[in-house]
Amino acid sequence: MKTKSREQRERMLGYFFILPAVIYMLVFIGYPIVYNWIISFQDVTATTLASSARDFVGFDNYKAVFADSTFQKALLHTFIYTVGCLVIQFSLGFLFAMFFAKKFTVSKPIRGFIVISWMLPVTVTALVFKFMFAEGNGIINTILMNLHIIKEPIGWLLNGSTAMWGLIIANSWVGIPFNMLLLTTGLNNIPADVYEAASIDGASGLQKFRKITLPLLKPTIMSVLILGFVLTFKVFDLVYVMTGGGPVDATEVLSTYSYKLSFQLFHFGEGSAVANVLFVCLFIVALIYLKTISKDEVI
Amino acid sequence: MKKIHLRDKQKNILFCVLGILIACIFLFPLYWIIVNSFKLDSEIFASVPTLWPHELTFTAYKDQLANLGTTMKNSIIIAVGSMIISLCLSVPAAYGLARYKVKGMKVFIMVFLVTQMLPASLVLTPLFLIFSKAHLLNSYLAPILSTATISIPFIVLMLRPSFLNMPRELEDAAKIDGCNAVSAFFRVAIPISKPTVITAACFSFVYAWNDLAYSMTFNTKDAMRPMTAAIYTFMNQYGTKWNSIMAYGVLLILPSCIIFVTMQKHIVEGMTSGSVKG
Repeated sequence: MKTKSREQRERMLGYFFILPAVIYMLVFIGYPIVYNWIISFQDVTATTLASSARDFVGFDNYKAVFADSTFQKALLHTFIYTVGCLVIQFSLGFLFAMFFAKKFTVSKPIRGFIVISWMLPVTVTALVFKFMFAEGNGIINTILMNLHIIKEPIGWLLNGSTAMWGLIIANSWVGIPFNMLLLTTGLNNIPADVYEAASIDGASGLQKFRKITLPLLKPTIMSVLILGFVLTFKVFDLVYVMTGGGPVDATEVLSTYSYKLSFQLFHFGEGSAVANVLFVCLFIVALIYLKTISKDEVI
Repeated sequence: MKKIHLRDKQKNILFCVLGILIACIFLFPLYWIIVNSFKLDSEIFASVPTLWPHELTFTAYKDQLANLGTTMKNSIIIAVGSMIISLCLSVPAAYGLARYKVKGMKVFIMVFLVTQMLPASLVLTPLFLIFSKAHLLNSYLAPILSTATISIPFIVLMLRPSFLNMPRELEDAAKIDGCNAVSAFFRVAIPISKPTVITAACFSFVYAWNDLAYSMTFNTKDAMRPMTAAIYTFMNQYGTKWNSIMAYGVLLILPSCIIFVTMQKHIVEGMTSGSVKG
């Protein structure tokens, strides 16, 4: 009897600590997501914004969006951007993690310090890369010309074909240390005696990497890639500030296009329809993520 | 690993040089913001960019500081407000999830894991409509309430492991001495995990300070905009005044840099536990 009431009190206390934050997230993220689905089936424009009785238009917003060539491009660009970033971020992040895992005098301070790019406002990162990629005398053109890699300055962000590269490189600058950090944690969790045993058995460096590092690092690699996908796929600030989706719509991605529809053209219904496409993509990946980590019993 | 263990000095030096080289190349953009903020416009537009300012000037800073007042105030109010809300909600939640066995604990953790992954651009339109109905547009509350959603899940996930690792005996002892659960939380749990809680405060401040999407969308009036939105507008208006833009950028990254440099170890640890573990 006594233990039961104590258990109950414990549980009440637990809720008292936990629920406020959960409710807050449900109100400011959960409810808006549901509301977003409702809006996407309504005719919401600047004129109908204030009225509470908005017409339901069925799938009209989705039909309009999917028929829109800019949307198709935005969807494609989002995937190109994400894959491009993931490849660069992950491979360089991995190299950095392996390199700084070696114990030399300055390995730890440097590894810690380059993470600073992750903390900076993306707005500023976007601006400085825009400056470095400038056509006239941007530092990147100057360096490439001095190395005789290019003959004439390239308008990196002004050409549809190169603008996406500018974005991918700028984003990788933020993503590399993040990947490195998570992979470093994974590497540190591999017990040293496994390597020692392999050395005694006469395994070469490459063999150890392929037979020990990679398999044992697999869970970390999975979560780094999935997390990286989610963080990259939702890009907004970087594209918005660096290219604004341009030139024309060569770098338009889902989030910037949704923003444009809602807050520049005031087609809120279509804007939220695009956001929902983004949501579905992210949600699928988030589910995969939850499945992988619950397998590893991290929770 | 023993075999590669750097016994000889030469190898160590080689790796150090290589490491420093990587760091220099990698951190070049940061260097580039700073040096260009001290250059004259004419020097920035010289056909060959100079690696350091040949003529040091502070005019860009003087110009920027003169009209910085309002936007900096806005940024500070938004970041501090967001930090307070986020700490008040997420620290107890992390503690509760670590200390109490409640029904649906997995679901609660799931809520934080999933909401952490969902971006601002997903909820911009609905939140805009909700805030406009509540007459919260162009107020401090709109960006404060929305940016807190970025840091709350992150902090919960980051702090929970540190509360889990805290020895239970301390709180039990406090309870025997007459503390109830709430005062045990305030008097024992928080003081013990002070470094992590401070790290959490830093993260929530920086997340709100760095935000562009929410603040720019909800606050359209110049007088209510934070520095991130202002620098973007400034760039569109004076796109070629790069030294001013860079000076403004330096002022904008200053809080993040100071926080990072002073608390680097904790920040780096927090980043890993906040983003992967549950």
